[in-house]
Amino acid sequence: MAGEAGKNQSGAWVGRLLAGDHQAFAEFVDKYKGEVFLCCRMLGLREDEAENAASETFLAAYKGLSRYRGQAKLSTWLWRIAYRQAVNYLRKNRRSKQLFEPAEQVADDRNAQMSAGLESKEQAERIWRAVERLPRFWAAAIVLFYREGKSISEIAKIMKKRKNTVKTYLFRGRERLKEILADVFGEDVDVGG
Amino acid sequence: MSADKSEERFDEMLGRGLRKRAEPVPDDFTDRMLRRVREEQQRRILARVIMEERLALAGCILLGIITVIMAAVFPGIAGSFTKQAEVFIDKITQIIEAVGGQWQFYTVLAGAFGFAVYSLVDLLVGDS
Repeated sequence: MAGEAGKNQSGAWVGRLLAGDHQAFAEFVDKYKGEVFLCCRMLGLREDEAENAASETFLAAYKGLSRYRGQAKLSTWLWRIAYRQAVNYLRKNRRSKQLFEPAEQVADDRNAQMSAGLESKEQAERIWRAVERLPRFWAAAIVLFYREGKSISEIAKIMKKRKNTVKTYLFRGRERLKEILADVFGEDVDVGG
Repeated sequence: MSADKSEERFDEMLGRGLRKRAEPVPDDFTDRMLRRVREEQQRRILARVIMEERLALAGCILLGIITVIMAAVFPGIAGSFTKQAEVFIDKITQIIEAVGGQWQFYTVLAGAFGFAVYSLVDLLVGDS
């Protein structure tokens, strides 16, 4: 019952958004700005660049709202725009090569052994730093799959890649993460695969 | 611990860890976005108005060109139009002379009519 009410409310909100209601658009920006910034930063944009790309993403979304038919989830649709904006930004600045490299050269901190009672915030930070050490395409697939809960076909649409390519990114990314995070997860994870 | 359980635990921890990640977003980002969207909306309206004005101007020019071409290609029709126009102008002159004696009354009437048309237009399309 509550779920249905929530769905109706959400439907009404999307309706207001598509009708060009500014309040609904402000709620839309508030709801998704974190994800859009995360997408831009994950693909290697600096803070100021991420802000520009996020701004362009929401503007493109505003212009394209009239064409949104609800075939994909609103978040998937927005992720696709954000991803394209960030990749285009890198291409324009002749930095496409970065997409095949890690986001940043993170110092190897394997020696800092994590105890079993590791603080979860600290652990989250370690996981993120590990993801940053992956090539960005892999990192994007990992974040979309594990953080956003997107399906393989949704990720393929967002990244404009084949499903098999996405599966490969996920497999390789996961294997690399297991190696990097072996000390965090300890003997719980079979590093050998 | 079995390999499957180990894999599941890894996936679970990875998901949980990644969901905790939040990128810092400037506080006024939403307000700035709203401002940009409003500007975009105004820009679109302005572009539409300019386009309408250009179309109207193009229409006037085209009409003039068509009239000149018609007059050149069909001089007979143009001649009859000229005669009809002369008759029409004569009639207007007669009407003005007839109305001339009562110009105060017609001025008030024209003012009232203009105000009524203005009110009607404002009522129907004023907001847009």
